[in-house]
Amino acid sequence: MAGSALKRLMAEYKQLTLNPPEGIIAGPVDEENFFEWEALIMGPQDTCFEGGVFPARLTFPPDYPLGPPKMKFSCDIFHPNIYPDGRVCISILHAPGDDPMGYETSAERWSPVQSVEKILLSVVSMLAEPNDESAANVDAAKTWRDDRKGFEEIAKVTVRKSLGL
Amino acid sequence: MSLVINMPALILERLPLPSLQTYISFSVVMLGLASFYAHQTVNTILNFNPDNQIQEELGLPQELVNITLPYDRDEHFLNMVYIMRVETWCIWTLVNSCYCLLILFGKLIQNVVFGELRVIEKQHLKDKFWNFIFYKFIFIFGVMNVQSMEEVVLWLAWFSGLGFLHLLTQLCKDRFEYLSFSPATPRYAHVKLLSLLLVILLTSGVVLVGCFWVGINISLTIFAFLAAESLLLILKCLYVVVRYIIQLWDMSLEGVWESRAMYVYYTELIFELVSLSVDFSHHLHMLLYGNIFLSMASLVICMQLRFLFYEFQRRVKKHKNYLKVVKEMESKFSMATQEDLEQNSDDCAICWEKMESARKLPCGHLFHNSCLRSWLEQDSSCPTCRTRLSETTERDGRNPGAPGVPNMAEGIVAPVNPATTNHFFHFDGSRYVSWLPSFSVEVTHTNLLPGQQAHATQTSQLDNMAREVQAVFPHIPQQVIMEDLRLTRSVDLTIDNILEGRITVPPLAITGSGHQRNDSHSSISGSSTTSEVSSLASDSPRVNNIPLNNLDNSLQLTEGSSERIRQSENQENSYTTTGGRFSKSATERMSMLESRKHLMLEQARRRYQEMHENQEGASSSSVDPPLIYTTSEHLRQIHSESSTLSTQEDELSRRRALLLQATQRRLERQTD
Repeated sequence: MAGSALKRLMAEYKQLTLNPPEGIIAGPVDEENFFEWEALIMGPQDTCFEGGVFPARLTFPPDYPLGPPKMKFSCDIFHPNIYPDGRVCISILHAPGDDPMGYETSAERWSPVQSVEKILLSVVSMLAEPNDESAANVDAAKTWRDDRKGFEEIAKVTVRKSLGL
Repeated sequence: MSLVINMPALILERLPLPSLQTYISFSVVMLGLASFYAHQTVNTILNFNPDNQIQEELGLPQELVNITLPYDRDEHFLNMVYIMRVETWCIWTLVNSCYCLLILFGKLIQNVVFGELRVIEKQHLKDKFWNFIFYKFIFIFGVMNVQSMEEVVLWLAWFSGLGFLHLLTQLCKDRFEYLSFSPATPRYAHVKLLSLLLVILLTSGVVLVGCFWVGINISLTIFAFLAAESLLLILKCLYVVVRYIIQLWDMSLEGVWESRAMYVYYTELIFELVSLSVDFSHHLHMLLYGNIFLSMASLVICMQLRFLFYEFQRRVKKHKNYLKVVKEMESKFSMATQEDLEQNSDDCAICWEKMESARKLPCGHLFHNSCLRSWLEQDSSCPTCRTRLSETTERDGRNPGAPGVPNMAEGIVAPVNPATTNHFFHFDGSRYVSWLPSFSVEVTHTNLLPGQQAHATQTSQLDNMAREVQAVFPHIPQQVIMEDLRLTRSVDLTIDNILEGRITVPPLAITGSGHQRNDSHSSISGSSTTSEVSSLASDSPRVNNIPLNNLDNSLQLTEGSSERIRQSENQENSYTTTGGRFSKSATERMSMLESRKHLMLEQARRRYQEMHENQEGASSSSVDPPLIYTTSEHLRQIHSESSTLSTQEDELSRRRALLLQATQRRLERQTD
């Protein structure tokens, strides 16, 4: 199945290069393997992640776009919807079959009409508005809810770190 | 395709394996010693055999005394080989040398064809290797119950050769899959890999012919064992070759090859089923032949048989599902007419390729035949609009699994019926026992785009619950209640939280409004800084660029003023120029991507530093012309401080009143 997946990934890469959405850069880490991408996501403005540049890895399955890619931030990021190890937990990345949190409708899940660009835009909006209903990082969700100031402080440190300063 | 037993592999992996060089030198030394020993022994026997008295002094082993060398004095080498075959440790040394040669040969092939192995390939190789050894060990000693040294060596030779070919095939398969992940693989890489595969195929063909010879001359049982093994190897190899050819053919074609998916599917199906059945009968044969129904070996074989059986069953089930989907699709969704295709100028949303022919779904969306089929195998909704495609049959048919809903999706998909959009299940464990968790399941059917899902779950249930809570605590803002409800998902838990003061009402409310204020402030300050900086910093265009880009990145998520959006749109052009071109050459593309990433990071860094300098300047109340941004920040701080102070007093009294009210209400409810 890798053939059609490859063609599609190539098309997506081309589109993302020619018309990049603001604050997002994505492409294969190494063209020898088109199924492993790196994306840089800029923290959305007017949020506590503003100014940061967060790198993430996207791993595509061989049957892409039938199956969703996996996304994992390769920097430390403290956020209710990101597991402590960096994996991103948003419903668009979940295959229609599985439902880890047991609350999503299949309407919100992965479908082949989704794309890397849409995923990354969803991630940006997730950064802007954490969804603490489905906490992947319970600590972060708690802090976000109970101690917004503290959360923003942590986010500031994250932003600083992500810039390598 | 075999059950992976991790235990032995785990133990064996921890063994400190010597490096290749050490091993080779060790083998060479051993071989040298063995031949030296043989040489000496032959000499000794030849020289002193007639004179029996001197043997004792030389310390010649007893059993060698009686050996009469089969060859003449002249054929020294053959005599040496003979001695080596008699002496046990010499045999093992010879076997070891053969392995050494085999490993060297393998290394050579690896260097020529594969080059550096990838981590995953190494891992697969290791797993396969230990797995293979484990099963063959069981076969030799558990099933065949080999007794004599000669036979052990023979079996060892057979399995070593077989294992070698198996591993090579595995490596080819992994490498083929890897190569198919890249659009720019040089031609010679394909040629090398394919020719290696063909050599393996040829060799295993020769081996199969050899098996027939064994069958005729020695025994049919052994023939069956050998033939099954080599057949499995051939199948595996052939599968890779066929897949490879399909893949290459597809890559060389421009555009879409509609029936490709079908070819791939059927090759996979056929090869998988055939090798599973060969493997199954092979294991069954082993079980029956061994006459060992109660032993470790039979246990392992039974496990393997079970695994193979389930695997077979699973595959057949999958295929049935596939056929069903195909039938369903062909009967229900007509091919799109030429008009439809002309009206719809878009590409297929699944593969992003142009559509020359397509199927049309009831909702009006068009897809390639093969793309749609492969999607329907795992889900039964339109990929674009998520309309259920199986609902008609689900209603009138109600046959188990009759609609194109495959096994897995069925259970989950079923509750989402358009008639009853919202299902709500709620279990509150704390009602029964305090430590039981409470949870609730909410199913909502929304047509929102996935990007907007954050709001999608704020549904009527939550509102209802919030109203319920607010009836108990009318003073607490609904927003706060909603916030807590979203976590607890239970009216009672939220009430408990409020009662026990876990919800701190006023500060939350303030941060909420403070946040909004923050938004509006920064939107003002954002535009003012840009104007300020653009007027001030005309000396360096870069500095000018930075705050402007800042605006670009407001992804219109926070509701900005239309003016701001327009501004950012204006600036977008300057930003996208860094993106721009999509080169044809892979290396150029990579370097361009790299530089874009670098640029983004650099810009972000500069901006960050800029902002911090500003803030620092403000905090030390510097003499610089104060930016509106910083002053507004001050204002905000002052404001929030004062509001917290003023609210602190009445917070206490309000909380007390609330508690009183709430407990009263609760008591009333309980008496009801």
